[in-house]
Amino acid sequence: MKGLGVLLQKEWRENARNFKLYWIPIVFIIFGIIEPITNHYLPEIMKSVGNLPEGAEFTWPQFRGEDIFISLMGQYQLIGILIIILAFMGSISSERKSGTATLLYVRPMSFGSYFLSKWIVINGIVLGSVWLGFFAAWYYVNILFNPVAAGDVFAFLVTYSLWIIFAVTVVLSFSAWMSTGGTVGLSIVVLLVLQIIDSVIGAFWTVSPWKVTMYASMMFSSVSNQSGFWMSIGLTILLTIGLVIFGINMAKRNAAKTTV
Amino acid sequence: MAELANIPWNLILPILVLQLILMAVALIDVIRRQKTNGPFIMWIFIILLGSLLGSILYFIFGRRQD
Repeated sequence: MKGLGVLLQKEWRENARNFKLYWIPIVFIIFGIIEPITNHYLPEIMKSVGNLPEGAEFTWPQFRGEDIFISLMGQYQLIGILIIILAFMGSISSERKSGTATLLYVRPMSFGSYFLSKWIVINGIVLGSVWLGFFAAWYYVNILFNPVAAGDVFAFLVTYSLWIIFAVTVVLSFSAWMSTGGTVGLSIVVLLVLQIIDSVIGAFWTVSPWKVTMYASMMFSSVSNQSGFWMSIGLTILLTIGLVIFGINMAKRNAAKTTV
Repeated sequence: MAELANIPWNLILPILVLQLILMAVALIDVIRRQKTNGPFIMWIFIILLGSLLGSILYFIFGRRQD
């Protein structure tokens, strides 16, 4: 692990200078605040802009605070994942293309620490943003809905974080493997399309990384599927480690492709 | 004016402030470098009129990587 400390500093500074350190948390926090507010004021919003006919009566579902966390997770599953893919699509591939990689690869560093420095910093930024978003939502849920138990929230967040780490690893290792365009395409297939497929026909199996989010939302209810939960967690961790090793090897193999 | 007072400003205000910060950072960046993907005036309009989405779009697609 030669030069991991230096590379971590380089990653940190780079993400501060291209503002990813700031805009990604802000966007996640904004979504975290909007979700409870719109759900709470939905009846009034519909009354004033919904063009409902005179005298129309609707019974709105009575949301509990726990439901808001799950619906916010649904937002992050689409918009959040898209932001992760688009913001970090070029982490390694565009460094190869712009020539930054040439300056790095001539130095005595291992590709392990090169890949891990990116992995650690990107995970730090994304996990920090997701947690800040959920904390903002939690604050608003306590004001507008019912208080939610801290134990449930943390169990939910820890489980959900595992899925986020998996998503970041997918994007980063694909970026080591392919061009920027290929990274975007394949990441969208793996993280968004497979997620939809898993939710449509996923009733036939209980163990898959795409089920981790479903198990995370179960933290708020008493229903639980212990064996499927732990098997999915284990499988996701194994796949993440496998993708990290794959990414390191691909970064090494594609080192010759840099523009000089 | 009565409707304006009914809006829960203390709840909405944090969103407006965060959005304003995001927009300000994007604008400062676009004006300082002036080298963007596509015309630089277009990005100013996208940031100003596109609210949240406009700033996100600029940060993802507008900044040139080199």
